[in-house]
Amino acid sequence: MPRAPIIENARSFAWITDKVCGIVEGRAPRWWWIGFILSGMLASFTLMGLIYLTAVGVGVWGLSHPVFWGWAIINFVFWIGIGHAGTLISAILCLLKQKWRTSINRAAEAMTIFAVACAGIFPLFHVGRVWFGWWLFPLPNSNVIWPNYRSPLEWDVFAVSTYGTVSLLFWYMGMIPDLATLRDRVTMVYEKRAAEAKTAFAKSFEFAFYQFRRVFYGVLAMGWRGSNRHWSNYEMAYLLLAGLSTPLVLSVHTVVSFDFAVSHLPGWHATIFPPYFVAGAIFSGFGMVLTLMLPLRALFGLHDLITQYHIDCMCKICLATGSMVGYAYAIEFFIAWYGANPFEAFAFVNRAFGQYAWAYWIMITCNVISPQFFWFKWARSKLWLVWILSIFINVGMWFERFVITVTSLANDFLPANWNYYSPTAVDIFTFMGTFGLFGVLFLLFLRFLPLLAFAEIKSVSPQADVHGHAHGNTDKAH
Amino acid sequence: MKKIHGMLALFDTAPAIYQAANTVREAGYKQWDVFTPFPVHGLDGAMGLKRSRVPLFTLVGGFVGFWTGMFIAWYMGAFDYPLIVGGMPYFSPVFPFPVAYEMTILFAAFGTLGGMFFFNRLPMHHHPVFNYEKFRRLTDDQFAVVIEAGDALFNEEETRRFLEELEPLEVVAVYEDEEAVSA
Amino acid sequence: MTTSSEVFAPSAAGAAGRRDPSLPFLIGGLVLLAVSIGLLFTGSAADPVRPFLGYLVGLTFWTSILVGMLFLVMIWWMFDSGWSVIIRRQMEFFLVGFVVIAVAFLPLVFLAISGSDVVAWTWIDETREKPGTFGMVAEDTLFLAKAAYLNVPFFTARYILIFAAWIGLAFLLRQWSFRMDETGDHKYVLWSRRLSAVGLFVAALVTTMAAMDWFMTLNYHWFSTMYGIWFFSASMRAALAATVLILFWQAGRKEGLRGLIQPTHFYFMGCLLLAFTVFWAYISFSQYFLIYSANIPEVTFWYNIREKSVDGSLNAWWWVSMALIFLHFLVPFLFLLFHKNKFGKPLIFIAVWILFFHIIDIYWNILPQKLSAEGLLGYTERGFVPHLTDLTAFLAVGALVIWAFLRSASKHRPIPIRDPRISESLNLHE
Repeated sequence: MPRAPIIENARSFAWITDKVCGIVEGRAPRWWWIGFILSGMLASFTLMGLIYLTAVGVGVWGLSHPVFWGWAIINFVFWIGIGHAGTLISAILCLLKQKWRTSINRAAEAMTIFAVACAGIFPLFHVGRVWFGWWLFPLPNSNVIWPNYRSPLEWDVFAVSTYGTVSLLFWYMGMIPDLATLRDRVTMVYEKRAAEAKTAFAKSFEFAFYQFRRVFYGVLAMGWRGSNRHWSNYEMAYLLLAGLSTPLVLSVHTVVSFDFAVSHLPGWHATIFPPYFVAGAIFSGFGMVLTLMLPLRALFGLHDLITQYHIDCMCKICLATGSMVGYAYAIEFFIAWYGANPFEAFAFVNRAFGQYAWAYWIMITCNVISPQFFWFKWARSKLWLVWILSIFINVGMWFERFVITVTSLANDFLPANWNYYSPTAVDIFTFMGTFGLFGVLFLLFLRFLPLLAFAEIKSVSPQADVHGHAHGNTDKAH
Repeated sequence: MKKIHGMLALFDTAPAIYQAANTVREAGYKQWDVFTPFPVHGLDGAMGLKRSRVPLFTLVGGFVGFWTGMFIAWYMGAFDYPLIVGGMPYFSPVFPFPVAYEMTILFAAFGTLGGMFFFNRLPMHHHPVFNYEKFRRLTDDQFAVVIEAGDALFNEEETRRFLEELEPLEVVAVYEDEEAVSA
Repeated sequence: MTTSSEVFAPSAAGAAGRRDPSLPFLIGGLVLLAVSIGLLFTGSAADPVRPFLGYLVGLTFWTSILVGMLFLVMIWWMFDSGWSVIIRRQMEFFLVGFVVIAVAFLPLVFLAISGSDVVAWTWIDETREKPGTFGMVAEDTLFLAKAAYLNVPFFTARYILIFAAWIGLAFLLRQWSFRMDETGDHKYVLWSRRLSAVGLFVAALVTTMAAMDWFMTLNYHWFSTMYGIWFFSASMRAALAATVLILFWQAGRKEGLRGLIQPTHFYFMGCLLLAFTVFWAYISFSQYFLIYSANIPEVTFWYNIREKSVDGSLNAWWWVSMALIFLHFLVPFLFLLFHKNKFGKPLIFIAVWILFFHIIDIYWNILPQKLSAEGLLGYTERGFVPHLTDLTAFLAVGALVIWAFLRSASKHRPIPIRDPRISESLNLHE
């Protein structure tokens, strides 16, 4: 029973280098430009929405009594959650020695950072007077008051900014050897591209582009030269960052869950929230990784590097985490009844059958039922189905945050206080625009940075074994 | 005459470089290095490298981070501007825990990256090995052993002969930059 | 794979000519179990339910190890993990202990059915004093709201369901693995993997049920959605620590794993132990932290009695709580961070340490609350005083579980020789 190969067709080291470097060294394909322009246009919605909000006030979002958290918090939690899969793949799977991670970790980490950037927008602008945003940090301000460390929102500031920073460090450090490879190929690539350039303008463009790439990759690669004495420290540092990112990623969504769970509101105060949120975050993140990687794999012809085995693994993780989320839904319901608190019991019955029942059932369908297809091999091997299900997961997880945030706030203790919450057009445009922002950042990443961690892919490929045989084939050797 | 930096032998498979590293270590060389496009598993042992000391930086970073987090919560909430909020005490080790925790990780991560750069003496954009004309292949698909001229056992002729016995693709001398010689 | 089966021929030496080492465990275990049950049925004049709680503590310690091992075996199947297969076999031996636990649990179920006064689950008898103000349990609104779940017939059904699931999963996983030794048929790998996929759900469900039924309902006013996960996390730690000790014992035996097990196996176990130490702390801390921060009386009292007496002074449990934070989490955490502590004697030391504080953790969860008609919330704290039953039940169940383990280990090969991943596990390097 041999292990599935991580790289198919026994590709050579040089093939892997050329394949991955080729993505950033060739000319941008037409679809890239189309995608970039469309994403840019979409991103401008966020920009306009935020300018309007800053000029007029937070009232332009559909926030009104009693729902003052609305889409802003939903979108924040949604995007932060998306990011978690990136760290999970790069850190936790690294600690678990899951070699298949190497083909997808770079893109997933990029996804993490861009998702955190998208997430950060919402709480920042939700404070209203965004020019006072720096009051969130422990800096002396004109009122001489410090931030309140008893508030979960302040914990969030630390958690999310630490998460963004450490993810960036981890991502960058992982990229150093690959950037060095790109740096070393710059001249070769220039010679090839310059020879192809026909006009004088094209030639001078190629020269300017060459100078840019020379400096860009040169500076970022930090003079990496592949010395094994360096690799030794590097590998240790990588392992340590993985070890640090693991408790970090768990803590970030834990702290996000504290935003809800330390309150008294029915449906929010549940001790299971921390692991439940973390599982949900990983679930949504893997959904997003599938959504992004399946088209990229087809567009760049990465079938030998991102194989059916990788897709199987990701589907199974979706199944596992989706089921953990299902477990949490069930336990919450049971304890809401068992706790014998009428408000708590009402909050849950209201979720399922009240005015937001439609959102609740979208959530259940997408999060609990749709991943169950991944039990079956035929479903995992139909990539169009996997892709559609991954979209379902994204939608379902957004609705989970909607259900948690809105149902509890809209129908709390006092019926006279109830209201029905609806977003405004500004809410919708601002949120949709963040997908554009994410797209812009991701497409830029595709053009300028190595999409796959090819140094790591080489290190797990069979010909990297110093004893001259692959691990997976050892039982044939007997 | 350019100053010699060392003697380089080029290999094209992982087992070959592993064997070469073993042989060079056993021959008693001290100042030498191996260049590989990816971390080759087991090569540290073949080179006789000690376990990396980067964790030291991580530990110090984490320690400093934790106490920084606790300190700012105490200083700001209980010392500099005490303010009653939510009926909670001015300071308790419980509620600033998330903050101290995040600071621990933040500082430890900076410590780790800083430690890696410190022990590797990076960034260093100039190094004699870059002068090797096929250096590009060393971050692509080939491997090299470099025995440096500073080694006590180094002798241009003997070291060249010694490396040639390892059956590499080629053995070449690597020279330092001319500016470096005049300086 | 024919060569490897010749190398690891079944150790016939164990059966013939040698004294069966498991026999003293059987005899000792049965005697101690009889003593424990005797103590259990007589109760205690000062505190009628104290022997019952002691028995539960002893039983829980061994149950948690088994539950953790069951999860680990299934998780390893799911991950198609190669390095762990020789360790998995030791757990398969140990999993037979579920039968012992099921039998040792019977007296508790019997007492619950008979409605005895020595049972610590107050809700089994509606005529008992209701916590807080005067009256009976039957008049307690909180009880009435939960009566559909908290009743003896349903409790007994759940007991049967929980053990049926645990034993059923353990039985199949053991049998298939042992059968693969004989036939070398890899269909058992697929079967085990599929069973594990479903089994993890089933085990998660029944383990949650067990944690709630046996520990959370000791105080039926209190509730926490995290409680099942707390028990899971504590069990994983206990199982890993116990497995480390088993591995060291096996590493010294010729008919065990001598020469087969590598330092790297211990290193990986040390890493897992570190990971689950952090996970346990994460779960325990989150539960405390959320209840502390929200500060709602209907749940905070559970922590209050583990901290303060009615008069507001710190009680013994406060010190136990501190011990759990610093000695059950911080010391093992810092200790296991160091690479060299994940091998040899340091690892044995920390495994024993963790198991010791695991008992304290169980004590801390089971023992403190004491029903009383006075007091604002109806509970005062029971002192942290050991009782004879704690010791006898712990030793009795332990001896019987070890007896079952030794019997199983002497009947089958010490490693799954025909497992498709066996060579990965035997040729393990860091």
